[in-house]
Amino acid sequence: MSELQISGIFAPRVIEEIQAKAESGLYSIRGFGTLRERRWATFDDLTFLPCTLTRIPLEGYREKCSTKTILGTRFAKKPIELDIPVMITGMSWGALSYNAKVALAKGAAAAGSSNTTGDGGMLKAERDNSRTLIYEVLPSRYGINVHHMRMADAIELTIGQGAKPGTGGLLLGSKVSDGIAEQRDLPIGVDQRSPARHPDFLGPDDMIIKVEELREATDWQVPIFIKLGASRVYDDVKLAAKAGADVIVVDGMEGGTGASPAIFQEHTGMPTLAAVCEARCALQDIGLYGAVQLIIAGGIRDGVDAAKAMALGADACYIGTASLIALNCNKPIYEDDYRAIGAAPHACHHCHTGRCPVGITTQDAELMKRLEVEQGAERVRNLLQVMTLEIQMLARACGKSDVHHLEPEDMAALTLEASAICGIPLVGTRKVFGR
Amino acid sequence: MAEIDAAGQTTREINRAIRQFIAESCKEITVRNPGARHNLAVAILNDAHIRVAGSAGYYCGGLIDGASIEIEGSAGWGVAESMLTGTVRVHGNAGSGAAAAIRAGTVVIHGDAAARLGVSMKGGLVIVAGNCGYMAGFMAQKGTLIVCGDAGEAFADSMYATVCYVGGRIANLGTDAVIAPMDPGEAEELEKTLSAHLPAALRSAKPAANDFKKVIAGRKLWNFDKREWRIWQEAL
Amino acid sequence: MCGIVGYLDKTGAEDGNIGSILLGMLNALACRGPDSAGVALFGDHQPGQLVAQVKLGDNGKGAQRTGEVRAIAEKFGAQEFTQTGAYLRFIFRETDDLKPFIAGVEGVDKDVEVVSVGRRLEIVKQVGSPARLEQTFGISAFHGKHGIGHTRLSTESVVDLSHSQPFWSHGFADLAIVHNGHITNYHQLRRRYEQRGVRFYTENDSEVVAVFLADKLRRGAELRAAMGSMIAELDGSFSCLVATDTALGFVKDTFSLKPLVFAETDRFVALATEEIAIRGAIQGDFVVREAQAKEVQVWLR
Repeated sequence: MSELQISGIFAPRVIEEIQAKAESGLYSIRGFGTLRERRWATFDDLTFLPCTLTRIPLEGYREKCSTKTILGTRFAKKPIELDIPVMITGMSWGALSYNAKVALAKGAAAAGSSNTTGDGGMLKAERDNSRTLIYEVLPSRYGINVHHMRMADAIELTIGQGAKPGTGGLLLGSKVSDGIAEQRDLPIGVDQRSPARHPDFLGPDDMIIKVEELREATDWQVPIFIKLGASRVYDDVKLAAKAGADVIVVDGMEGGTGASPAIFQEHTGMPTLAAVCEARCALQDIGLYGAVQLIIAGGIRDGVDAAKAMALGADACYIGTASLIALNCNKPIYEDDYRAIGAAPHACHHCHTGRCPVGITTQDAELMKRLEVEQGAERVRNLLQVMTLEIQMLARACGKSDVHHLEPEDMAALTLEASAICGIPLVGTRKVFGR
Repeated sequence: MAEIDAAGQTTREINRAIRQFIAESCKEITVRNPGARHNLAVAILNDAHIRVAGSAGYYCGGLIDGASIEIEGSAGWGVAESMLTGTVRVHGNAGSGAAAAIRAGTVVIHGDAAARLGVSMKGGLVIVAGNCGYMAGFMAQKGTLIVCGDAGEAFADSMYATVCYVGGRIANLGTDAVIAPMDPGEAEELEKTLSAHLPAALRSAKPAANDFKKVIAGRKLWNFDKREWRIWQEAL
Repeated sequence: MCGIVGYLDKTGAEDGNIGSILLGMLNALACRGPDSAGVALFGDHQPGQLVAQVKLGDNGKGAQRTGEVRAIAEKFGAQEFTQTGAYLRFIFRETDDLKPFIAGVEGVDKDVEVVSVGRRLEIVKQVGSPARLEQTFGISAFHGKHGIGHTRLSTESVVDLSHSQPFWSHGFADLAIVHNGHITNYHQLRRRYEQRGVRFYTENDSEVVAVFLADKLRRGAELRAAMGSMIAELDGSFSCLVATDTALGFVKDTFSLKPLVFAETDRFVALATEEIAIRGAIQGDFVVREAQAKEVQVWLR
């Protein structure tokens, strides 16, 4: 009896996509980030080598493992000081609901960490509730306000993000509410597109002058971050360092987004693991490793991913998607509402619809009520704290009294690709492959 | 009235001197020998009046709120960028991205503007007495953009609600830009605006208000679900 | 990405201090191009002679080769040898076919490169700042009618002498370019030229501009038309200055992506990425404006 054979090339999902395109004449736009199966080297391809005979591990509690993190020591008068090396990345009020933005601010503050504004400017409640607030300057310049800039603890000049490097932002009409429209100076209900490029500089040579402008506007006090979607990471990191960045943020392929064409999320950018390795090499090759801090982002799920990224050279990690999941994104509640938008718990990437069942990526006041701010803040704080504990546990097991002392040599590669990409020996061989 | 001699000084030193004068309640400041330095008079957050007696480089008057800047020579890229409100006047020519992302306020250029005049502007008034270059008004959101001379290619591409007027030739219109008739009284308003902001000699050398063309968004890019493939092929 | 400068003296004088003017302009742009600096200067033409600048080698290994290169060059009538930094300069017998000369000289070693040849053209470039360029070569003492210069911020290719600009259109006497921007169909174009036997000396995309123009001129195009065809055929961003022994011009890309300003009086034409470079080197009451998208201008000396 012959069985039905499903094509590996024209798989059911591909058939549906082609037929959807044939019907609508449009490409697919959605949220969330890379959904396809990751068959490339990821943090999962690395394992830590804790102390046994050759080194001594630390006990918990009394044998402290410091997590204090300082960013922006290169040029800024006032570097930022965080209690932990995990921070909340920029996500716009617009993509996110007001309650979500406030919950993130409070949760990060309670954990001794920082929050970041996003593609839409600063909310008063963000500044009021954040312990440390980073102000993003993006190509759209929505909500750009020099006074807000001067209220921030750091400025992040964003060239692009990992989910969709080389392109602009997108906020579909159902999320361009009255409030959002006013903040962004847009007509209500438009499908807002952001430009791919900054309006007043094109290229790293002009960016040098832009960085100086931002320093002049903030009296040379606060750190200037430059954020890059991971693409030609090695070249871009060198250029950002030459342009005078205090801190460089590299956001890998697996980073999230509220809405963007699906093809960008799946087929552009360099994966986060490879990105952190290239970024560190770039800084080493120009003699600035340690002088310029590196923040890594892009699909960081837990303290393990963060610890591995830090061992590979990151000074800190941004989380985005993980922090929203802490706020109940994809939680099995309000399940009818997931189904109503064509999703299900654990399989929802429908941020772009504006009908988030748990009130995170929506501008609908009724839906937003489902995200209770204090509860949300506590959940975010808990996640940040647990991630920090996970990093500390791994660091102590590796004999470190400071999480920033983690090194590539604390790990081994489980696969050939990871060995080649990270320059770390492959388990069982004591050899680094591919170099 | 205070004077700063910029010769031999860094931008940082010059801006510091400007702020010092303002702190001492001197709000009329002239910067001599600016040499087209970058970032002059950035983030001046009060109603000081700063005269740049020569050319400025990039971002002159960028991020200001309330100040009035007068550049007697030319300006580089991004003059008045992200201004919250205030006035920036350039007697010479302006580089690309003039009035980029301004929220309100007025930018007046007596000479020509280069590419991307008023890009992403979010309000305010931009007037160019001369010509403008490629893609003026790109993704402009609100406010008014007036070019008395000729406009370059892709004029008013992908705009939201900004209203544009052009006195001379338009090389070609950008995606979703359409020429619309003026409303009754609109030409008179335009004349008032031009006369209020341009020196008489400069105003009289340009076309009559009635002869300006009004350009606005056709709104075909405002919502993504429209099946206007050819428009989107150009726009995306 | 970088800073570019150009200057042409219109007064009729043959001995203007263009070296010091270009140096002054380059100094003002060093911030946006910290990696390398270089100039292409056009001086006196000695009838029947061409002038050559030859790179002897990388990383100080050139010194031993001076003798060998001299020996080859003398077969082409070379004389008046001077050695400065990594360069050997000499004049030799004018010819329409530079191939044997280039093959001979570059055959000495793979690191030896003919950096420029022309009736008037001399290119000197190296890693480091304009100040260091001046220290090594004394550019400010150079006299002539026109020249172009460059400060480099390397993007995708290595930082070394050969990858610096200006680029000579290799094998085509007197044609030099400087480029700010990035040619995004560089690899495709390069492969097509290589198929036809053209040799590229670097991995720097700017080099293809020099190859492109030489190719057009060899096929009979006039300089202005050749520069104009860059707009359709080269993709990406560019503000370019192009110079020959008789002309200086600029061309800007379709979308006006990289800055370029210029001023013209009856005394001079000055061009630069930023006005600060022009004001830093030239006093006077003149107006500067930015070049527009797809604009091409050529001035003859």
